[in-house]
Amino acid sequence: MDFLNSALMGFQLVFQPINFMLCFAGVLLGTLIGVLPGLGPIAAMSLLLPVTFNIPPVSAIIVLSGIYYGSMYGGSTTSILVNIPGEATSVITCLDGYQMARQGRAGPALGIAALGSFIAGTLSIVGLMFIGPFLAAGALRFGPPEYFAIMILGMTILTFLSNGPMWKGLLMAAFGLFLSTIGMDNVSGIARLSLNIEELIDGIGLVPVVMGLFGISEVLLNVEGSMERSIFKTKITNLLPNWKDWKASVGPIMRGTILGFFLGILPGAGAIISSFASYAIEKKISKYPEKFGTGVIEGVAGPESANNAASGGAFIPLLSLGIPSNAVTALLLGALIIHGIQPGPLLIKAHPDVFWGTVASMYLGNIMLLVLNLPLIGLWVKVLKVPYPILFPLILLFCLIGAYSLNNSITDVIIMNIFGLIGYFFRKFRYEAAPLVLALVLGPMMENSLRQSLILSAGSPLIFLNRPISSVILIIAFLLLAFPLIPGFNKRRPAFGE
Amino acid sequence: MNNDQVSSGIWLLMSLIICLASLQYKVGTLSAPGSGFLPLLSGMAIGLFAAIGFIQATLRKKRGEIWHSFLKGLRWEKALIILVSLFAYGWLLGLFGFFLCTLLFIGFLLRVVVPQRWSLVIGGSVLISVVSYILFDVLLKAQLPRGFLGF
Repeated sequence: MDFLNSALMGFQLVFQPINFMLCFAGVLLGTLIGVLPGLGPIAAMSLLLPVTFNIPPVSAIIVLSGIYYGSMYGGSTTSILVNIPGEATSVITCLDGYQMARQGRAGPALGIAALGSFIAGTLSIVGLMFIGPFLAAGALRFGPPEYFAIMILGMTILTFLSNGPMWKGLLMAAFGLFLSTIGMDNVSGIARLSLNIEELIDGIGLVPVVMGLFGISEVLLNVEGSMERSIFKTKITNLLPNWKDWKASVGPIMRGTILGFFLGILPGAGAIISSFASYAIEKKISKYPEKFGTGVIEGVAGPESANNAASGGAFIPLLSLGIPSNAVTALLLGALIIHGIQPGPLLIKAHPDVFWGTVASMYLGNIMLLVLNLPLIGLWVKVLKVPYPILFPLILLFCLIGAYSLNNSITDVIIMNIFGLIGYFFRKFRYEAAPLVLALVLGPMMENSLRQSLILSAGSPLIFLNRPISSVILIIAFLLLAFPLIPGFNKRRPAFGE
Repeated sequence: MNNDQVSSGIWLLMSLIICLASLQYKVGTLSAPGSGFLPLLSGMAIGLFAAIGFIQATLRKKRGEIWHSFLKGLRWEKALIILVSLFAYGWLLGLFGFFLCTLLFIGFLLRVVVPQRWSLVIGGSVLISVVSYILFDVLLKAQLPRGFLGF
């Protein structure tokens, strides 16, 4: 009964005109961001974060979450029509989606991507509703060592799955941890490593760092290469898949949903790995694996469902443990903290409006996306035709405004530019920025947990191994770190882009 | 030197700087970690991973891996122009104010990076500046800097 009342309260909240409008704006903007290569959900959410300061916290989370899962929908459009993934999560959709478009079946490809995403997104929210409160109740028994262990595991998984050698991912995480220590030390009150710059006493802001690493560096890389892209000219008809398409897609959609949801819960895994894993599974169990890559609808239905289910699953550790599982949810965590809400196991009890409002908005948002996406595909194609030389100054301007308006500080603009340059070199030398961002967000929490644990144990690091939950979690993290030592393992290790 | 040798070498240097900077603060003990504890720990971790990377890269170098230029065949000067204009924007924002600074910034990028027609440059920069000013400053109350023009 309590559960139903809470869910009802969430729906009452989301149907308030302001929240309804913000949910709509979020998913619309998210789809647009997903469609446009070169501007990801992280940069878009960073940009809008300062704008949300003047609205209630629940409305802020509704609009920011809308951008996140809206971009998952939009990313498939470019994969299918242009063979360029709008988002990293849609990379695998290019393989069969674009081939379907070339065969004159762009409509069913876009249709099954939207419908599969809707089904997966909706089912993952049901999972979030049931598992979130349950996990939060269990997490009340967690102490600092358990939290520390979970955060270590999250960062280890993310570095394990990052592209290239593992030392690079671990190095990025260590650098992110270092960056998180800049500014006031909560325990001693000393301003650390702030170089006597007043703005750095509060620490390096997440938004300028993220915008620099993901937004500015992306533009810098794009402008030095070819800025032309050709859209495959095809008439988009019959968006609703036929009976044969449905029959082939039901299995991949359901398998993709389950896989994506559970991988989304894992800290550090998420939408990208789930879409790749879904494709691999579908190919493995298919009666005609050799046809994958030539335009089979299962190759679109599975991964697109998986990445949407994962985006729902990613909210579970965020809302029930206060631990983000990827860079996007790290940004949402930052937004919650800025709005004065302390994420963690007590969030559902202390701020039921935030949890249930977000859950209800995701239901509504998924319906909005389905209604929006199918009729608006023509519009998204037109958006894709905006030449990049006209688009990139706008992206840069949005980043500049976003960085400045966070604290009305030019220092933040300079920090963003510096991280834009750093991000450019990271990409040139093949270092992934995602572990850095996660470590930057988790850093202060990790430091507190580490210090509290060591104080609890009178300085004995064995506290992490003496407690069963933290020891199991740390052993898993250790095994992940040890795997690359197996000869030849690195060649077989699954690696996914950002 | 190959690419990873260079980058891990830079990280080793960075680790040294971080460790030295951390030692300015009280490191403390395991039972009572001080302000410099985590910065020092992260600096040491950076050094450790960079050393692993350097050793691996050196072994690959011995097997014949060479330096690959990451600027070859690319129009890197366009990226440089953008970067300089971004820093200039940050520098001039307080002096010129949001509107004028944005007008010049957008106009410059449209004309210089991939040269567009003057009509598009002028029309585009004015339109973007006006719309972004109205959207962010007037409607969303973002309190953008005014500059000597007063807007």
